[in-house]
Amino acid sequence: MLDQVNDSTVADAKKELQNLLADAKGDSATFFQQNAQKLEERLVLVSKGELDQDDFNFFVENQKRAAQIFIDSQPPQAQERAEKLTIHLLEVAATKIVPVLIAAAL
Amino acid sequence: MNSKDTIVRNTFLCAVAFALASCATLTKPESDVSFENLRAFEISFVDQYAVLGKRFDAAAFDAKVAEGNAKFQDAMTNEKFKARRPVLKDLADQFKAEAAHLRKKASTGKITKALAAERKRDINDNYEHAIAKKTE
Repeated sequence: MLDQVNDSTVADAKKELQNLLADAKGDSATFFQQNAQKLEERLVLVSKGELDQDDFNFFVENQKRAAQIFIDSQPPQAQERAEKLTIHLLEVAATKIVPVLIAAAL
Repeated sequence: MNSKDTIVRNTFLCAVAFALASCATLTKPESDVSFENLRAFEISFVDQYAVLGKRFDAAAFDAKVAEGNAKFQDAMTNEKFKARRPVLKDLADQFKAEAAHLRKKASTGKITKALAAERKRDINDNYEHAIAKKTE
């Protein structure tokens, strides 16, 4: 699905998203894995034109609420990484990747 | 042990198992039932209004949302354990956000099959997290 993102201006964001997804899926914490899995599935639906930016943003806000609860439950030294692999990952997808996927699907 | 003893023993064991299962059902916390009722209501709400091509009836939609809000308010009022009320409040806020999103999509004819499926999946996940959280 990310193959559809060929815009050179978002090359860095695409690379960052790929790295964060790989990191999240490789982590032992189930929350990171599930969040990454759900995010990938929604990105596929966006790329097929089955969800729009509004739907995606709604999903992201819902996930961010759940992620914040998860982050707060982590020890202080683990919270920065947890934030990066959840909230930051979701925001990169919503603000940088989804607009390009939607434009490509039109 | 003769066959009569075996039958008596098996009957006794079945009776014990049945009694234990009955107790488990009867002692299920009241708020679990409440959470399940709210979940069922919210899923049926999505089933009713996130339908591709269905004409949007604003009055009926708003009445259903008001019914949902009242259910959440009742659940919060009747929850005996104060610590569980914030969890119900989170679910009530999620329902309000869900309703606002669905209203926007349904009233502009932008419902897709994927949207309905994904909303129900998120609702179920939210309730799973809420039920786990309130029993921590």
